[in-house]
Amino acid sequence: MNEQNPIPPIIPIAGDDLAERAPIPHGIAAIEALLRQPLRLLYQLRQPGAGRLIGQMLLITVACSLGYGVVVGTFSGGTQLWAAPAKIAAGLILSAAICLPSLYIFTCLSGSRARFVEVCGLLAGLLMLMTILLIGFAPVAWIFSQSTDSVAWMGGLHLVFWCVATAFGVRFLKQGFARTEARSQAGVNIWIIIFLLVALQMATALRPIVGKSETFFSAEKKCFIAHWVDCLIGKGSSWKPNPSN
Amino acid sequence: MTSGFDIPGPSEISRLLRGEIEVISAWSERWVGGRFILHLAVIILGAGLYGATMGCWRGPEQALFVAIKFPLIMLLVTAGNALLNGLLAPLLGLNIRFYQSFSAIVMSFTVTSAILGAFSPIIAFLVWNAPGMGSAGSTYNGILLAHVAAIALAGTTGNVRLLQLLASLSPNRAAAMRVLAAWLTGNLFLGSQLTWILRPFVGSPGLPVQFLRPNAFQGNFYEAVFRAIHHILFG
Repeated sequence: MNEQNPIPPIIPIAGDDLAERAPIPHGIAAIEALLRQPLRLLYQLRQPGAGRLIGQMLLITVACSLGYGVVVGTFSGGTQLWAAPAKIAAGLILSAAICLPSLYIFTCLSGSRARFVEVCGLLAGLLMLMTILLIGFAPVAWIFSQSTDSVAWMGGLHLVFWCVATAFGVRFLKQGFARTEARSQAGVNIWIIIFLLVALQMATALRPIVGKSETFFSAEKKCFIAHWVDCLIGKGSSWKPNPSN
Repeated sequence: MTSGFDIPGPSEISRLLRGEIEVISAWSERWVGGRFILHLAVIILGAGLYGATMGCWRGPEQALFVAIKFPLIMLLVTAGNALLNGLLAPLLGLNIRFYQSFSAIVMSFTVTSAILGAFSPIIAFLVWNAPGMGSAGSTYNGILLAHVAAIALAGTTGNVRLLQLLASLSPNRAAAMRVLAAWLTGNLFLGSQLTWILRPFVGSPGLPVQFLRPNAFQGNFYEAVFRAIHHILFG
């Protein structure tokens, strides 16, 4: 009998524990909550006034991505010291903005009862966790950026760090999504693939980020896979690092 | 008591997308003008935005044209087949009133348009990243494929929601399936021809940007398909 009707796993509802209902007064507390008590953050995202919390999370996201961007820019130096942070922060926020409507639609199609503001909060949580982790990786990235001249190697390293950070961000999103009475995770899984593709293409559209070129943006339109292949075989000659580094 | 022209809130669209069947069947029991206007607005906005992204590869003028034409097709299909669909439902075993069949189809197009509208920033980003008209062949095909995927996903979801609604209104699932199949056949038949008349949408790279092709009303979609098959088989 039990085999025919297996008991579904019990997912704790955010806010069951009193400690999870403690308010999140400022950004630092939001980081603490995201890392140690994600249920507390999820509970607060359902409360009135969640917009302020989301605003703080986005500010932290921008600050962290600017910080990581400076480290990325140190590889080429010069204008890349400000161009790389600007491009990384703008690209991340733009990718999220492009994918937000479809996330909300997929959330609804999955039967979830999450409000739009809650969906925005989950996305902001994903971005914040991702960029905080990138800041954690920044010293390692900086060491490597000072000891190699290869754009392909540095690009690959940043990509690995980004993938690890994104995996944790996605885990938070799915954790939050599972608590919104969604009938299925299929929609959010499709959305994650779309988000990854958009973010990777955004990084290619805003190139050069790691290397250097005479122009702020490359005029040539390219798919991110074609761009990676070109970088690996050394065709992206216009994105050589600054010899002074 | 709700008056016939109360404007329901946008949260109703979320309920429609979630497929809250009890609520949606209750809506279809009674005609509410405000709800119809809301659904109409979502179709115009969602499909219009998607249409704009469809045309933007060729230029802003084409984007504007397709933003008008794309929702127009949905509205014309709904209006053109309204009577036929209303007649077919009771004949195929689903005893619903005319306005119920009409609002069910409007709701399914609303779901489709909301999904398309949500996909439009992603498609716009894809088009913005696509190489220009110089490398037209593969880009044009790639863009067409992306549109096929997005429209197929949105259309399938809209029809799944429609089937769920019909099943809730019908004594058995078989009757709901029959009605859906009949409605789909009629809508596809009319929709294909309307799409043929109102072409171009993405716009072939070698042809000029136009609201309608000069030969829009010459021939039809099915003749063109027949000619294409004949050409492939017999040269």
